[in-house]
Amino acid sequence: MKRRSFLKNIVVGTATLATVMLPYGVSRLLAPGIKIPKRNYLRPPGALKNDAEFVVACIGCGLCGEVCPPRCIRFHGRDGGAKVNTPYIDAAEKGCILCSKCIDVCPTNALTTTPIEKVDMGIAEIDRSACYPWVDQGICGACVSICPLGDKAISFKMWNQYRPYVRYGCVGCGLCVEVCPHPSKPIWIVDRSQEDVAKHAV
Amino acid sequence: MSRRSKPFFVWRHLNKLRWVTLTLVFLMLILLPLLHVYQTYVAARAYDLLPLSEKQLYDTMELITAPFVSDPASELDAIKGNTWSGTFWGFKLSDPLAVVGQIAAAQSIYWPFFLTALIPIAFTVIFGRFFCGWICPATFLYELNTNLGAWLHWAGLKTGNMHFDRRMKYGVLAAGLALSMLTGSVMVAAVYPPAILGREIYYAIALGGFGSGMIFFLGTLLFDLLVARRGFCRYVCPGGALYSLIGRYRVVRIRRIVESCNDCAKCNAVCEFGLDPLRDNFGQECNNCTACIAICPTDALDFTIRLTDYPYQGPGHLGRQYRGQKKKQGSTSATPCGQKAEAL
Repeated sequence: MKRRSFLKNIVVGTATLATVMLPYGVSRLLAPGIKIPKRNYLRPPGALKNDAEFVVACIGCGLCGEVCPPRCIRFHGRDGGAKVNTPYIDAAEKGCILCSKCIDVCPTNALTTTPIEKVDMGIAEIDRSACYPWVDQGICGACVSICPLGDKAISFKMWNQYRPYVRYGCVGCGLCVEVCPHPSKPIWIVDRSQEDVAKHAV
Repeated sequence: MSRRSKPFFVWRHLNKLRWVTLTLVFLMLILLPLLHVYQTYVAARAYDLLPLSEKQLYDTMELITAPFVSDPASELDAIKGNTWSGTFWGFKLSDPLAVVGQIAAAQSIYWPFFLTALIPIAFTVIFGRFFCGWICPATFLYELNTNLGAWLHWAGLKTGNMHFDRRMKYGVLAAGLALSMLTGSVMVAAVYPPAILGREIYYAIALGGFGSGMIFFLGTLLFDLLVARRGFCRYVCPGGALYSLIGRYRVVRIRRIVESCNDCAKCNAVCEFGLDPLRDNFGQECNNCTACIAICPTDALDFTIRLTDYPYQGPGHLGRQYRGQKKKQGSTSATPCGQKAEAL
């Protein structure tokens, strides 16, 4: 009799707990995905647009890294899952100089021949609540002066010489991220599909 | 005695050449990342900013390359890569397993990439699994590992000598390709030592540390030492399986000259892949490494051009067993068995 009541208590307890936790679980399931802005992995220039296709095409030979003059191309480790040994560029550490040597050397179609202006590694986005000139904490312009594409990609606001803004010519090479002196990196490369640039560029 | 054919004397020394090749390939795998690091310094014009050790690296690499190139930042791009995929003066070569794995992952063929494996495939069709014995950078370490095992054995320590089914590696190849197909990523590369070694050495030198692949590779070394001699190549390696399949009907083979053989079985003992040269049983897995030719005391092993191995030719004519048979025949009469041995 005692055992029966014990089992009954367990069943009732579990059921109560499940009922109480159910709203939390449902809300977690329905909640929109939380954006994690830290450390985005850019693919080298000319990479296939669809990342799954890129992982399929890449054989992980490391040739792109071996020809990269600034040594910005690094490789996913075990943490990358199926992406293991595929190349990435961590713009905060080192940006791409768009020399397109990796495109030439890639044996597969993972990196396909692309003119520099058509490269799409993403697009830079400036956080105007942190960038030094935008919060009136001095003049900077590091991102504008380093940009290999010049005026097509990033330039200063006309009415304030030192406030940078990104234009659609930006290919997302990440050099601006590399040189940005602000510790929190208010300039960052985001997916072009995120379309935040238009909002910021006006 | 005159009808006994002697192998060309150079074949005995091919094993040394093979060691030179293996060493060169392995040293290239170390040198190329160092050269790349040097190139990055040159491209950045960073000599004055470098710490002392890096300056020494810069100077050494400059010393090595200065006679050959005037503009290291671009001209040293001529030779790049590893045995998994590499480029020589714009000419690209890839491992057949890379191509097969990528075809499995993509489920379609990208022809420009397929063509990069054509020369290795052609060589494999002619010379069989030659990559495993002559080029593979992992073989270099595995054979040294075998020697270490022999020393440990000599010192009285127990080393592994287990035997498994040789066909296991074909299963690994099939499973790896199936996994590549399912995950959409070239998964066979994760268990293929030359690919692992090529990139891990690059990671270690140019990107500041070994990745997880090195743990796997050290595991295979321990497996070879403690469980089965050369066990990974014999029983597991998916690349070895692919090369064996391509080189099944290889044109250049090693054969036993039965008239010169004295049944000493040194060839069987020295064979890294555990094959059976003594009984003419080379099979599809012989990599023409010529270790057996080099060790044979009576010059009884030679190259031949044939699509299949000879069937078993009977005991060697200089061996005790054959002479015993012959004596018996002499005392009674010629048996068909003896005639057959004569004829061959």
